[in-house]
Amino acid sequence: MTRLVKNIAPLGQALLNSYSLLFFSNNKLFGFLLLLVSLFNPYAGLAGIVAAIVSISTAYLTGLNRTLVRDGLYSYNAVIIGLGMGTIYNYSIAFWLLLFVIVVFSVIISLMLQFLLGKYRLPFLTIPFVLCFWLVMLVTKDFASIDFTYRNIYWINDLYSLGDKPLVNLIMFMENLQVPPLIAAFFKALSSLYFQNNMLAGLLIALGMLIHSRIIFSLIVLGFVAAYGFNLVVGASPEGSNSYLMGVNYILVAVAVGGFFTIPSLHTYLWVLFSVPLTFLIVVGLGKIVGQWNLPVYSMPFSITVLCMLYFFSLKAHAGKVVLTPQQYYSPERNLYNYLNSRERLSNMHKVRLHLPFIGKWMVSQGYNGQITHKGDWSKALDFIVVDSQLKTYEQAGSEPENFFCFGKPVLAPADGFVQQVEDHIDDNEIGRVNNRQNWGNSIVIRHAEGLYTKLSHLKKNSIRVKAQDYVKRGDIIALCGNSGRSPEPHLHFQVQSAPYIGSKTLTYPLALFVAERQCGPEVKEYTVPEETDIVFRPVPSLPLQKAFEFLPGFNLTVTAEGIPDGRWEVFTDALNNSYIYCHSSKAIAWFRHNEEVFYFTSFEGDRDSLLYYFYLAAYKVYLSVEPAVPATDIFPLQPNRFTIRQWLQDIASPFVIFSRLRYRSLNRLVSADFLDPTFSVESTQTAQFLSSKKTVHNFTILIKESRIISFSFRKNNKNYTAICTPRDY
Amino acid sequence: MPKLKYERPLIKKMVAGMMDKFGAQGENTAVTHIDGVTVKSIIEKYGSPVFVLSEQKMRQNYKTATRAFGTRYPRVQFAWSYKTHYNNAVCNVFHQEGSWAEVVSGFEYKKALGNGVPGANIIFNGPDKHTDEIRLAVENDSLLHIDHFEELYLLIDLAAQMDKKPRVAIRVNMDTGIYPMWDRFGFNYENGQAWQAINKIVESAKLQLVGLHCHIGTYMLSSAAYGVAASKLCDLAMNCKKQLNVTIKYLDLGGGFPSANTLKGAYGLVPTPTVDEFAEVITTTILNYGFITEDLPLLILESGRVLIDDAGYLLGTVLANKKLSDGRKATIMDFGVNIMFTSFWYDHKISPAQEASQFNEDTVMYGPLCMNIDVVRESVNLPLFNRGDHVVVHKVGAYNMTQWMQFIAMRPNIVLIDTSNQTHVIRKAETLAYLEELELMPDYLKKIK
Repeated sequence: MTRLVKNIAPLGQALLNSYSLLFFSNNKLFGFLLLLVSLFNPYAGLAGIVAAIVSISTAYLTGLNRTLVRDGLYSYNAVIIGLGMGTIYNYSIAFWLLLFVIVVFSVIISLMLQFLLGKYRLPFLTIPFVLCFWLVMLVTKDFASIDFTYRNIYWINDLYSLGDKPLVNLIMFMENLQVPPLIAAFFKALSSLYFQNNMLAGLLIALGMLIHSRIIFSLIVLGFVAAYGFNLVVGASPEGSNSYLMGVNYILVAVAVGGFFTIPSLHTYLWVLFSVPLTFLIVVGLGKIVGQWNLPVYSMPFSITVLCMLYFFSLKAHAGKVVLTPQQYYSPERNLYNYLNSRERLSNMHKVRLHLPFIGKWMVSQGYNGQITHKGDWSKALDFIVVDSQLKTYEQAGSEPENFFCFGKPVLAPADGFVQQVEDHIDDNEIGRVNNRQNWGNSIVIRHAEGLYTKLSHLKKNSIRVKAQDYVKRGDIIALCGNSGRSPEPHLHFQVQSAPYIGSKTLTYPLALFVAERQCGPEVKEYTVPEETDIVFRPVPSLPLQKAFEFLPGFNLTVTAEGIPDGRWEVFTDALNNSYIYCHSSKAIAWFRHNEEVFYFTSFEGDRDSLLYYFYLAAYKVYLSVEPAVPATDIFPLQPNRFTIRQWLQDIASPFVIFSRLRYRSLNRLVSADFLDPTFSVESTQTAQFLSSKKTVHNFTILIKESRIISFSFRKNNKNYTAICTPRDY
Repeated sequence: MPKLKYERPLIKKMVAGMMDKFGAQGENTAVTHIDGVTVKSIIEKYGSPVFVLSEQKMRQNYKTATRAFGTRYPRVQFAWSYKTHYNNAVCNVFHQEGSWAEVVSGFEYKKALGNGVPGANIIFNGPDKHTDEIRLAVENDSLLHIDHFEELYLLIDLAAQMDKKPRVAIRVNMDTGIYPMWDRFGFNYENGQAWQAINKIVESAKLQLVGLHCHIGTYMLSSAAYGVAASKLCDLAMNCKKQLNVTIKYLDLGGGFPSANTLKGAYGLVPTPTVDEFAEVITTTILNYGFITEDLPLLILESGRVLIDDAGYLLGTVLANKKLSDGRKATIMDFGVNIMFTSFWYDHKISPAQEASQFNEDTVMYGPLCMNIDVVRESVNLPLFNRGDHVVVHKVGAYNMTQWMQFIAMRPNIVLIDTSNQTHVIRKAETLAYLEELELMPDYLKKIK
């Protein structure tokens, strides 16, 4: 029985998704609503359901990608075919046979187009539907057993059979309602996608859409108004503006171009204002061509416009202002919020992590564009020295290089790489003298990636421990700080460059993570360049914290909390080397990244009541050190599924302006300072900010002992929970 | 016009200001202020003699030392040597800076606990640890540095009883090429005793061997010896890893770094190595020894003297001037060896605390005790003092305030000048009541008639 349910459940999901996908959603509730609306015309509705089931089964049994089948990708075209055929033909054996053949064909075309267009990262939209339906229209005239129905004329009779008097009354009430013609046209246009033409269906769809997505709703309105306006200006053409064409072309173009296949923004809204008139022209133009065979254009103009626009967007040399949706969450809000969030948080993720090339606290004596020597092509460089609490750089007389605190101190490799060039024979200068002939003094150039080199200069004579072509790991001691080259007193020169030579010009490139001591205390800086006079150091990494958040592939954890289903977590790595925690019981996935300094989640998908979700919130970003005690701060993507007025206001305005924030903050604390077996806690909060008002939404505490995560606690529905984490061995 | 100061007539051989075999001629610049507070006001307020400690100097010394090590080695920890100065206020200055505690007796151990140092951050050294003290230390997860086999066996027995795995290190003594060799503490490296002790600890399976400790001497004037010591400890640590599969978590190189005082018998100005020189030798030895980065042991240092000696001053007053039988001049001060134990080791620098004559006179400086040994300086060039004049003795922060005694005179106030130049008494001058507090009188002796 459970097995049956297990097999049926995805089919049910696929069925509902086939309905909602037509409106750019994968919300099952919305799908169900649309299914109900389609049954306003019971013959059409039933044919739609049958078509959906036939197409899903075909796709399922022929072994197409299960996830895509479940998402309704191969069946949404079939649904419209079914609805269309059910609307215009009478039921008969021949009807069902034809439906079956055409629906299977639509799956084949869908798959074909998916791969043909997929190469260009384009969707196949409703092309399968239009092609199949044209075929149906062309052939049926010759089939005696398939005849047009007259039901549509007596559609009220059908309503009686469906919902008896109350439904008929409701629909008649709606039809007779004195609403402005514009509004009536709007709702009718919406209903036309399901081959209907009544206000109630349109209203229900509109409401469903508003709940599903405020952005889609605003785009529908925009598309409708644009089409209406253009129609008025060019002089109403009856072919261009009937409510069917309105619904399936202009409104859908507005959604597709304005916010579904693109990240919604002011620019995409402006492109909508261009795309809708373009569609209008295609509707009229194409209508002239296919009209010769007595075929309507259906939604072909929509598909043509959207394909043109999307291909155009993707071919532009510069991404420009319009961004194609990188990952489809079937919600423009979610697409937008996740995109903005990753742009804000993760744009540095693929940079080579460079670190301070020394041990302990040093001061930046000359920063980028420094007044002394960091000029012109060599302006993006950093000089470091060691100072005491009075900012003195030397002891005793300061007349020998050895008197200077930094002289002879270890110099480390800033990142992994191959040693490219080494110069090690130049004498250290006397204090106050400079060697302008061998400007850079003893230097090492390291290649970290193609076109990314770092250079360390003015090193101590004969102190370099590596030779060209050696591989160095970050943190390896490679030389000692010296006073060679153009260096009147000992200091360490550090620069990033794109060419492998000593003397190459500099490149702006940030350091991955360091602590800067400022007036207001220590601050952790990520992917920034230290400024002149900053005293900088690397946070002391805590081995137990690093181990606790190591999460290597194959690591298993059982997480239990009273009153919440257990989590069975396992760590995986995918083909692109992205790591994630997968919960076997809730099927949720949390993607994460970590390095020696910081652990952070990049995204979460799945059940938002699962323990994994709470862990994702709790450990969104954790520094793997306790000294200095500096909080980690970060920003969550906004959650469009929260039904609050504030969220809805934000959703509507989101393509143009963001005024709410979900902020994250975590602070590591040493609970017991035992250096062999320290206990740590990570205390974190999620704060919702709307304009300037702030409210703490969540408080979390993660406990770490014996180098592993013991538990994490949180509050949910006014109840406190503590989730206990137990590693499992396989 | 104020009355001019009286100066005794003086006949002196004329010497040019050249350096002779005794070094440069002593310059006796008056030291009228300590950290911005006048010597005169301190003596007026807290009496004479009085010990003065500069918090600013202590913190500065600590930062200098941590910088010297911290810019050369990634994992460094200082442990404040309680025997150097265990006044709680002083200890807490160093604990605030991040120092652990290094103690050598039960009472020092309890003092450290009392100061709020977590048990796991207390190192318990020394040859005389009582059973109950060891028990307390084990309960608090402190680091016990084993000195002899008897202690090792005792620990194994205790561990069996306590059902807890004590954290231990052994103290290792070794030949580092210096004399005297401190082979009375710990286990010898060269004759294999240390390795034997390590094996016994690991085989017992009752103790956790977490560290190795050595302390090769005190007031060391050669940094090279530390290189030898570090390399021998590294060798033991490496063998622990390779042969016993035990990762040594820390190497404790002890203390012994000199302050800038002048040892008795030192010939002129002997330059003492700076902390930087010791740091250079120690860290390069460990870094070059071949540990993988993750296994690099924590480097612990138990420095005391170098951090506090020059932060301590003793202010005193001239009681009398005398001429000895052989014609030498003598000055009697109100402080002596009773509170300045280190005058047995060092020729302390002494400065006048007020404007004084530019003429110096060789004098013997005696303390106030009615005891022949009470000599502060056997021979010192000082200006001519009058009764009531004040002097400042420099670099007395280490050991004096733990080794002083109530002999004839009682112990004076200790005053701390904080970083905003405010003075605080951190130990009150002793009183007769304090002295007699622990005395008991048998009934039959209560009456003396």
